[in-house]
Amino acid sequence: MLSKFDYQRPKSLQEALTFLGEYPETKLLAGGTDLMVVLRRNMQIVDHVLDIKEIPETKRFEYKPGEGLFIGASVTVNQISESEPVKERYMALKQAADSLASYQLRNRATLVGNICNASPGADLASPLLVFDAVVHIATPQGNKEVPIQSFFTGVKRTVLNPGEIVIGVQLADSETEDHSVFLKQARIKGHDLGIAGITLRMTPSHKVSVAMSAVAPTPIRLVDLEKQISEKSLDDTLPEWLESEIKNHIKPISDIRSSADYRLHISGVLAKKGMKKLLEMGGK
Amino acid sequence: MRDQELKHIGKPYNRKDGQEKVTGQAVYVHDMELPGMLHAKCVHSPHAHAKIVSIDTSEAEKVPGVKAIVTGKDAPYRVGLYMVDKNLIATDKVRYQGEIVAAVAAVDETTAERAVSLIKVDYEPLPIIHNVDEALEGNILVHEDLHTYEHMAGVFFPQKGTNIASWNRTLKGDVKKGFEEADFVLEDEFSVPAVAHVPMETHVTIAKADPYSDKVEIWSSGQSPFAIRQLLAKSLGINKSDVHVTVPYIGGGFGGKAGIHLEPFVTILSRAAKGRPVKLKATREEEFNLLPTRAGMRTRVKTGVKKDGSITAMEIYHDWDSGAYADYGVNVGKTAVYSGAGPYHVPNIELHSRTIYTNKVFSTAYRGFGHLETHWGIERHMERIATELGMDPFDFRMKNALKPGDTTISGELVYKTTGSPTACLEAVAKEIGWTGRKTEAERAEELKTGKIRGKGLALLQKAPAMPSYTSTAAIMQMNEDGHVKVMIGAIDMGQGANTVMAQIAAEELKIPMDDVEVVWNVDTDKHPYDWNTVASKYTFMGGNAVRKAAKNMIQQMKEVAAQVLRCHPDELEHDNGVIYHVHHTHRQIPFKKLAMGYMYENGNGIGGPVIAHGIYMASGLTNPDPETGQGRPGLVWTFGAHGVDLEVDVETGEVHVLKIASAFDIGKVINKKLVDGQVLGGVIQGLGSALIEGYKFSPDAKLLNPSFTDNKIPTAKDIPDQIVPIYIEDPETAQVDGPYGARGIGEHPMISVPSAIGNALYDALEIDFYRLPLNPESVALAIANASKKQ
Amino acid sequence: MCNHNGDSCFTYKDSGLTKIELNCVINGDKVCELVDPTMTLLNFLHNQMKLFGVKEGCGEGECGACTIMMNGKAVNSCMILAVEAEGADIVTVEGLAKDGELSTLQKEFVEFDALQCGFCTPGMLMSSRALLDQNPNPTVEEVKEAIAGNFCRCTGYFPIVDAILSAAKKEKEESK
Repeated sequence: MLSKFDYQRPKSLQEALTFLGEYPETKLLAGGTDLMVVLRRNMQIVDHVLDIKEIPETKRFEYKPGEGLFIGASVTVNQISESEPVKERYMALKQAADSLASYQLRNRATLVGNICNASPGADLASPLLVFDAVVHIATPQGNKEVPIQSFFTGVKRTVLNPGEIVIGVQLADSETEDHSVFLKQARIKGHDLGIAGITLRMTPSHKVSVAMSAVAPTPIRLVDLEKQISEKSLDDTLPEWLESEIKNHIKPISDIRSSADYRLHISGVLAKKGMKKLLEMGGK
Repeated sequence: MRDQELKHIGKPYNRKDGQEKVTGQAVYVHDMELPGMLHAKCVHSPHAHAKIVSIDTSEAEKVPGVKAIVTGKDAPYRVGLYMVDKNLIATDKVRYQGEIVAAVAAVDETTAERAVSLIKVDYEPLPIIHNVDEALEGNILVHEDLHTYEHMAGVFFPQKGTNIASWNRTLKGDVKKGFEEADFVLEDEFSVPAVAHVPMETHVTIAKADPYSDKVEIWSSGQSPFAIRQLLAKSLGINKSDVHVTVPYIGGGFGGKAGIHLEPFVTILSRAAKGRPVKLKATREEEFNLLPTRAGMRTRVKTGVKKDGSITAMEIYHDWDSGAYADYGVNVGKTAVYSGAGPYHVPNIELHSRTIYTNKVFSTAYRGFGHLETHWGIERHMERIATELGMDPFDFRMKNALKPGDTTISGELVYKTTGSPTACLEAVAKEIGWTGRKTEAERAEELKTGKIRGKGLALLQKAPAMPSYTSTAAIMQMNEDGHVKVMIGAIDMGQGANTVMAQIAAEELKIPMDDVEVVWNVDTDKHPYDWNTVASKYTFMGGNAVRKAAKNMIQQMKEVAAQVLRCHPDELEHDNGVIYHVHHTHRQIPFKKLAMGYMYENGNGIGGPVIAHGIYMASGLTNPDPETGQGRPGLVWTFGAHGVDLEVDVETGEVHVLKIASAFDIGKVINKKLVDGQVLGGVIQGLGSALIEGYKFSPDAKLLNPSFTDNKIPTAKDIPDQIVPIYIEDPETAQVDGPYGARGIGEHPMISVPSAIGNALYDALEIDFYRLPLNPESVALAIANASKKQ
Repeated sequence: MCNHNGDSCFTYKDSGLTKIELNCVINGDKVCELVDPTMTLLNFLHNQMKLFGVKEGCGEGECGACTIMMNGKAVNSCMILAVEAEGADIVTVEGLAKDGELSTLQKEFVEFDALQCGFCTPGMLMSSRALLDQNPNPTVEEVKEAIAGNFCRCTGYFPIVDAILSAAKKEKEESK
């Protein structure tokens, strides 16, 4: 590691914002599972590291009926996976959490870290997209809220400005009859990055939403496809139709992990399998 | 010897190193620190092929704590096991991306890393050889001076003015006539990518070069301390006896740590640092991208068969993409000369095995030593021949497999005691319930579920690949308490050699296992010679040496005891730690009274410390004939077979292996627990090659996946539901000259796992796969393409 | 370059930044150490605390060789800064055996030959320990999930899974 950084562990948000005001290029540390790789490989030279885990607001993890689920920036992926409200109401989020990396990494990795890293393949992004998550950001000028759909701006890029801190994300409320499913195809069955990931959600009023990861420069919600689905009847033909139709809505690339051909193919397969499961769960 | 007479052989003892390893007490070179030790970091070439124009180390030298910087001009030495083709540091030009161009030794790793980042190297890129076809064109040379390189003459055949490091041939029978006799000829092409060994402990070396003499001390994670001693001395032009190598516990080898790697280079750094010890611990990225791999390989094979299924002739080209160097790789290529057509009787054959230079990370030994690669092609090809003939692939293999009286492709006569491939095939076919290929109707029915099952079979064979005069030795010393310390030159890297050797010693000495210890921390100044810990040879060779040492130890004690007991040594027996008279059993002396010499009541002493040694020299091996490859290269053959039952998801392309049955004609299982370990681990490593692993290179020949992020190995979630190891222990086919009939098995479980899986995929899908790995992408896209064609 | 055997040889260390005090508990012992802010917890435990059972296999959170337990949870120590361990309760493989006797889990690893080269073993044991603490009665699939982040290149995993399941059974019997 070539970086020589100092380490800050503020106990309040204000303290953190003040430090960031002085040193806007400071790297934020929560789970560290992405940052430590960046540091080890000298992908960035870092002067200051600020650990947000002692900031009370980032530890908040609660579900409030009517308001939904708030996941603070220090909440780990395993905390999410083990949470009862998540299992009851945000199944796709649990499934995505369980698919991320390895068990011991999930003990450190955070959901907010996953989206702030803004990898096109971020496993936890597609559930957030279908649950209309809102990102809560503390800035020197005060707090702001950004819908997850506007949060990602490109490969490894977000709307975040230097000096800002994501405190957490708020997911819209979800009924227990709200069904969702996350599916991911990887190269191996053990921990691996996704070649493609998909979340499908069906509300009790049978509104279907679809989001994918690793098939575009950012995780994406397939709004046009959702509109098409809303015009179709939710019957046995839907999964097969979706399998071919979804390919018109994504433009995956070829890279080290997969060819574009397989990404297209598997996106269709995942969409079909996911839709079948949704229909089974949600009735028709 | 009948089983009931054996006390320790065949017993599943726990490994002797278990306790130290589960408590964190086992020390590896990764953990070692010496007083005044420096840490090294390397500058790697970003280019696959380029001239080194200049290297500027001036900024790096200014970093406080830097003790030495070396570049190619400081190390005008080459190194290599079979072909001396490798510079210690790139000199004049780089031949692969990742090659070391310069290195720094500093007071800590961070300082070394910082200094390395300040070294500036100017390159002039050269045209790149990406693959064996470009290499064979010969317009661009990876090694201009190939013809001047020292090598084992008459065994390897570098081709001057080409990229062929060695062209080895087999010629047996009349190939033209053989093809004329055939009713049917099939031609195929198969390939495998380069893959990584992935020992969990990356390569690491500490070197300490005495500034006042030629003496060098090495602590290495190597598999082969004596090969390191020999090759390091040769490379630096010093006496072998000036090199002292110690190998403590090592965290996996798999062939990647055989021969010699970082040791001479780190010695140069220690010399430059005025003799301070220098430690170089490869990062995982260096393990993938600097240190060698298993070679990529392409097989082109043509076979003639009669209608009745008998093979009449074969013509084979195995072309090995050895990357930038072939110092060990040429010997991998050589194995094909005697084993590259599988365990079959082929009356007429022409086989070419060419080890070829390209501008990629270079190749070396890897568990199976070329056999997984050759058997991928051959066993898939045999499957296809059976299909074309409309024969059951089991019957086709049974018909052509080697049997007593046949000769191998290198002309070795097969005896009954050579072992039985057919016994292995029958065993696995039975275990997976092989009843022939799936019918069209069965396939159509299963397709409705989205998953299709398939079964596949494959044979395998391997004999140790090593110089014809390979030898080993064991030393055995008895302590005052009658305990025995055994010293061997082989490295127990987890395969269990030390436990097995202790069992053999305990068996022969007839003492409890707890009274025998094989001494760890192999030290070339103290332990007896062993060539290399490779080739699945140690149970056989080392076992024979330890047996002889034990017999000699007993004889020494009998001779002293005979004087005390006033009888002839032949009248004495031993058991339970005593030497006793065969008839008057009360006339006896405990071992411990003989251990340091016997003392009479009046104080007189006779005898002396009981120290024995035993040797084993490979018996009757010859170099293959340069023109025809004929000879006797195989010290001990182990035959085997795999049967695979799998399920493939026709949409995702995921292959789930339900069961692998693996049978080996091992002759005698000395420790089932340890042998099971070799089989389970080897099969999973083979599964990795089959389904997951492989290097990927960019158009400019840079390694695209030099980390675990994109270079995966099987995890606990990737294993089959079941592996069933089967051991053939038929006294009729056991190895008569092996210890208790035993043969080696270390590498064999890995071989032909991909072939059996490929064959099972054919059974499931009626799609032939020619390339590894069979990952979800390649399987799913092949299914999609096949259904498009229909 | 500094003079051989000169003072600076052993004084220049790591980032050169002011060290930070770290208080934590390691294998039951209270520890107060000064650590470099850029040092990983892996390097702290291995190089500074000389707990050589904590192994580095990749340094990038992929292989699990450096797995330890921190506040009862299995974590990759290479992915954590040492300074983040302030106040933490850390257990490494060295902390598993009590009073000179191997723990049941360790004994079962030996008995089932769940190790060969031994390099992944400490991390594997810690992942297993964390699993059994949380779930004393795991299924085969749960065991595989818990250790999927620990690469083993030698054993093929089967003996490891069996050892963990057997240890779970024995621990339950022992606690009766």
